[in-house]
Amino acid sequence: MPLFGKKKKETKAERPQVAVSQNETSYFGKNLMIKGRVSGNGNVIILGGLDGEFNLRGRVKVAQSAKIKGEVKADVISVNGSVKGSLAAKDRIHLDQTARIEGQITTPKLSISEGASFDGEISMNDRSSKPTGTHKTDSALDPLSTTAPIKKIDDR
Amino acid sequence: MPKDTSADSISLLSKNVRIEGEIQGPENLHVEGYLKGAVELSGDIFIGNTGIVEADVEAKNIVIQGEVKGNVKAHQQLEIHPTGKLVGDCTAASIDIKEGAVFEGRSNMIKSSGTAAGPSSNSTSGRGPQIQKQPQPE
Repeated sequence: MPLFGKKKKETKAERPQVAVSQNETSYFGKNLMIKGRVSGNGNVIILGGLDGEFNLRGRVKVAQSAKIKGEVKADVISVNGSVKGSLAAKDRIHLDQTARIEGQITTPKLSISEGASFDGEISMNDRSSKPTGTHKTDSALDPLSTTAPIKKIDDR
Repeated sequence: MPKDTSADSISLLSKNVRIEGEIQGPENLHVEGYLKGAVELSGDIFIGNTGIVEADVEAKNIVIQGEVKGNVKAHQQLEIHPTGKLVGDCTAASIDIKEGAVFEGRSNMIKSSGTAAGPSSNSTSGRGPQIQKQPQPE
């Protein structure tokens, strides 16, 4: 038996609202300039400017029009735009053709497409990464871990 | 509602993401996450149900369904939905506060240039549901 009176929703029609599901990817358009710190869980696509820091559990995509100055930390980072500063990924980084990077990259896995420009240094010892199952040579054997001096080797 | 905005895209700050800092630009912004600092947009800002903004906000149109702590300035319209909460002063050319909305603060009206529509100033304070409508000066 149909009830009449389903007109609640009518008042909502006045403004076109984008229905957004809660865990959607954040999107920073190309006219948006952010100064400061972006953090949390989730994926981000940035087309605009960021002066500051990304610190995210999730994926960050730096689109072609994006300009970032500062630090980007995320699980997965893919870059088409320009970044001055440092990129650090827990999982992997991809630099696409149009990427322009000046600075430092830290990642266990890296791919760079032809055409990308990268001025800086890469470090691929993934101390920061979560254990991925494979047995890693850890701090004691890590040649780059400066904090663990190689003094303590037992002489046999 | 006029859909002409100076910005052509809508930026989205999703639920579990937070920004601490300044945001500006000719953009529309939809906030479902947490935003602290300052916001200055020439587009619109829409603060969704899960959105929490602790910032001074300036935009063309402001729609609040979530929570805002800070002073708010809408060059055109400020709209607070029943689920919305504004703690702070507002300045707007037109305000629309729905029943159930929470507004604690002062309100100032902007006189749009060239028009003299409605009372030139309007002041409210206190909390609780309030309904105010003002014809859009046009």
